[in-house]
Amino acid sequence: MQCRWPLLGPLRWITYVNKHVKVKAGKDEVLWGWLLTVDPVSASLVLMDFKEDGGASVQVVMGHAVEEVQIQQEADEETTDRLQASFLPPKTCGLDPEDLRKRRGVIQSWLEKNRVPVEEEDDKLRVAGVLTIRAPYGPEDCSSSNQIILDRIQRLIQNLIPVDP
Amino acid sequence: MVTPVSVLRMPKGPDPNSRGFDPKSPRFIALCRPSIPTSAVSDADAEQLQKEQHARSVLRERFLRCVLSMTNKNVRFHMHERVKVEATFGASDIDVLNFQVSDLHTPIGVQKEALIRSQDVISFTFDI
Repeated sequence: MQCRWPLLGPLRWITYVNKHVKVKAGKDEVLWGWLLTVDPVSASLVLMDFKEDGGASVQVVMGHAVEEVQIQQEADEETTDRLQASFLPPKTCGLDPEDLRKRRGVIQSWLEKNRVPVEEEDDKLRVAGVLTIRAPYGPEDCSSSNQIILDRIQRLIQNLIPVDP
Repeated sequence: MVTPVSVLRMPKGPDPNSRGFDPKSPRFIALCRPSIPTSAVSDADAEQLQKEQHARSVLRERFLRCVLSMTNKNVRFHMHERVKVEATFGASDIDVLNFQVSDLHTPIGVQKEALIRSQDVISFTFDI
């Protein structure tokens, strides 16, 4: 007997977010936690539990296994903030523009030395028209749809001896 | 140091992209469960649909960030029949049908690399 949970839809699912819920899954598993999100593709629930030492444990319940979801309580403002901040994107670069400009120049000349076609585009570097490097120009800041070029450039930047302490 | 066991190949389900499998066959539906569709257009007006799409993208983005934070972390999978296994999370595919993991500790040994079907998983947990 399949639960209706996967059929509820995003508008219903979003009403469960930031609430403390009790989830019955599989044959006899029961999980509790603050609901962070529901994946619209698989109806999987992401639950978070705060630990005493400040850390947190996350449980993901697959949508196909959900039998029942019950709301226990709403989150207060502090908990909501804590939940929102859980998986935020990585912090934007903290270096000042002058340092960034210098670093960009260093990376650009390193790439040119290795005979890689690179151009400056605002505060980003564009490689061969297919790869973009944004601040602070580390290997993780490269993005491209070409897997091979991405790999090569990432390795190249990684090999550059770090300039800043 | 645990010696990894040799690779086990479980029968693979039908690939949703290959020809020859009837999308309506029970095997296909069981193993290549399609994504949950949007609500029927007939009963939703444009504003409702827009709200739904917005909710969908907010939820999906949060979920993707969660999956992103799981990479290279130790994850414990709870599977059917009370089987619990531990592994290092690698990646998930776009439809959340398969999970790629490394160093999967199973009752018969450690699989160096493995693909876990999401249909076999009830829940999984990790610490951040």
